[in-house]
Parts: sequence; structure tokens; C-alpha cells
Amino acid sequence: MTTLLESRYRSVLRLLPAYYRREREEEMVETYLWDLDRDEQDQSRPTVGEVASIAALAVRSRLGAPGAPRRYLLLGSAVRLFALFAVLIQAAAAVVDLVLEVTWAVSRGGAERHLFLSQFTGRGFPMGVVTAALWILPLLWTVAYFALLHDRRGLARASALLAAVPNLWPLIGPLTGALVAPDPAFATTFGLLAWLPALALCAAHHRDAPPARLPVGSPGLVFMAACVLAGASVVMLPAAPDLAWAPASCFVVGALGWLFWQARGSEAATPGAGLALAALGLLILAVRVAAVYPWLHVPMVGVYLGGALVQTAALGLLIVALAVVGRRDLVAAEPSLTRGDVT
Amino acid sequence: MTRAAFFVLTALADQPRHGYGILREVEELSDGEVQLRVGTLYGVLDRLTDDGLIVLDREEVQQGRLRRYYRLTDEGVAALDAEAERMAAGAGAAKRRIAEGRRATTPADSAPERPTTPGLAGGFA
Repeated sequence: MTTLLESRYRSVLRLLPAYYRREREEEMVETYLWDLDRDEQDQSRPTVGEVASIAALAVRSRLGAPGAPRRYLLLGSAVRLFALFAVLIQAAAAVVDLVLEVTWAVSRGGAERHLFLSQFTGRGFPMGVVTAALWILPLLWTVAYFALLHDRRGLARASALLAAVPNLWPLIGPLTGALVAPDPAFATTFGLLAWLPALALCAAHHRDAPPARLPVGSPGLVFMAACVLAGASVVMLPAAPDLAWAPASCFVVGALGWLFWQARGSEAATPGAGLALAALGLLILAVRVAAVYPWLHVPMVGVYLGGALVQTAALGLLIVALAVVGRRDLVAAEPSLTRGDVT
Repeated sequence: MTRAAFFVLTALADQPRHGYGILREVEELSDGEVQLRVGTLYGVLDRLTDDGLIVLDREEVQQGRLRRYYRLTDEGVAALDAEAERMAAGAGAAKRRIAEGRRATTPADSAPERPTTPGLAGGFA
């Protein structure tokens, strides 16, 4: 007869994917219950640590663990690429933002230089520290990008988590009184833009995952190209930039390039890239729409509105095209899923 | 090799063991320092199996429940041996450095051993 504790353990094990449960559930339940007195089992519960370890195993076994069906291998590859592409775009946007801001401050004379410095010194010590952190921490996206591609996964995870912290400021700032509450949709999507990639990086680029690899180019060249794209988009249309502008510009050009590259028959090297780019495009589109929506009914510079709407349309079209490619990859993986379930 | 993988391989070095047996053995071998959760254990077992360091030895059904026993492969023995050698070499180097450090500080600390008799020139050596 099944005890209450056994039922509870089996409930926790439902976190695992079906293929893994079929293979391991009985064995794991036996390991859990080995030395427990049957009469006392109804008073016990799985500990938080045990549940956490199963949750971690559930994530890994869905993201391309050894022996997983091909569908999960594809999903794991897609999540790893999503994290890598998102980190690259964030890194390029952060560097370009910083370089342009400093260039503007030092090239326009004393008044602008003072204005630039006063954001750190003009509002007291605690706010100065917060402003400096908000300014410097996004540079850690660059550290995360290069660390990931040089297989320093621990450093990449720590850097990405720290780099994502400033994106919480629109949510936290209003609570401290230091910031006027922004549009909730923008604050949320802006937070997700950093935290989803950071969490994806932590989950999918774990110790047992294959090394991160770009579909094309060396890490330095690709990073430089992304910086040039982001910088050019800002410089060419200086009235348009908001926080979504540079990342969206990078994404549009990069995704277009990938689609052309793939159309020439080079898709085999990057399984899951279509899904990864579609997901990243959707995330950037959400930020793009949330950033421009509050301004739709406000008299403003037409260039900004026009630029945002063009980006929105381009993102929408690209997401559809990428989703079609991603779906094709998933369908191709289904027959292997059936075989993987049997083994 | 991670600490958990090292202790799991060590637990299987003398005989095949099942999941619970490995957990207890790892705890004992590490003097309670390494207490693997079941989720962590099976993640390590998956990885070691995939790397060819362990294999399934046999299965038993006891009171309707499945016990799987795992054992080291030849590659597993070699990997564990190499890791143990590496750790022993590291421990040896650390011990040598500590001993050298102690020797280097000893003369200054043991003032009474310093010669205090006048030298030929009337000074102190």
C-alpha cells in the first residue's frame, strides 16, 4: 500500500519530464524511502532542499540532458542560443549607450560635462551610488558574453545576474521615492528583457551543457559588429532612441542576416536558432510596444513615433518568419521524440 | 571533476551500489561534508553514465520497488585514479609549502638559538 510520504515524493517527481520519470521514478522513490520506518512515513514530507534538487534536475533534463529525446535537445539548444543572443545585444547596447553619453559629455563643453557629473554628485551619497551602479553594472553584459564564449560559465552567470539588476530599478525606484513611477507595462517588459536572458543563461548554460558557440564569426568580431549596428542606429536617427531602440535595431539586422544565411542552406549548424531568435524578437517587441504606447497620444517628434512604428512592423514580420522556421525544426524533431521515448 | 562526482566514483570503487547506498557512502567518505540530495545524485549518475565512467550492474525488485546497482567501468577506475593522484599531488605540494614556510620563520622566532658569543672581531656573528 502506498504511504502518504510516497505519494508526496511521487508528486514532486512529476516536475520531471515524462521520459525521465519513466526511466527513473521507481528507482528514485526507492532511494527516498529506503531507511524510513513505514509507520512514520505519513508524518514526513519532502524537504525544501529535496524539492529544489528535483526542480533543478527537471530544468536540466528538459534542456538537453544526456540521453534526452531530440525535442528536449532542440529546446536546450534554443534556450542557450536565446541567452547568448540576448546577452550579446544587451552588451552592445550598454557599451554604445555609455560611449555615446561620455562622448556627448566631454565634447560639448563645461556645462554639459557638469550636467553629466551632477547625476552622480548632485543628489547626495546614496543616490550617487545608485546612479553609478545603474550606469556601470550593464557593462557586465559584455563580461558575461565573453565569459560565456570562453567557457567561464560561473563568471558568465554571475555577471549576467549582476548586469540585470539595473533593469529592476523602474520597479523598485518608485517604492523608494527616488523615481516617478513609469508605465507598469514598460517597467515589467524592461525588467523581463534583462532577467529572462539572465535566468535562461543560468538554467541552460549549466555545467553539463555543451559549450556556447556563435553560429558564425568570432566572439570579438560579432561583438564589434553588434556595437557598430547599435551605435549607427542611434547616431543616424538621434531623435528616435529610447531604451528599446538600439537592441531592436541590432535584432532586426541580425535576424535578417540569419534568415538570409539560412536561406542559403547553412541552417544545419545551428539547431534551435530560429526558435531562439523568435523568442528574443517577441521579448524585444514587447519592450518596443510598451515603450512607445504611452506616447501615442502625446504631441511629439514624429521621427520618434515613426522610428518606433517601423521597428514594430519589422519586428512583427521577422517574428512570424522566425516562428515558421522554428516550427519546422520542432516538427522535424518529433519523430526522434517518439524514438527517444522508447529508449 | 566535481566534488560530488569524485565522491560518487569513490563510493563505487570497491563494489556496486544502489542509489541509497551511494548517498550513505558519500556522506561517510566525506565525514558528513557532502550530503547529496536525490535530484543531485541522479544528475551526477546521468553525467557519469553518459561519460562512460559508470554502468548499470544489475537490477533488483524488493517489495515491489526497483533497486538499480551501479559499478565503475575501467574508464571510471582510471578517471578516479587520475583524480586521486591529482589531488594527492596538490595536497603534497600544499604540505611542502607549509613546511617551507614554517622553516623560513623558525630562525627569527627562536632567538635563543641565535649565536650571542662575541666573534673574532669583537662583534656578534
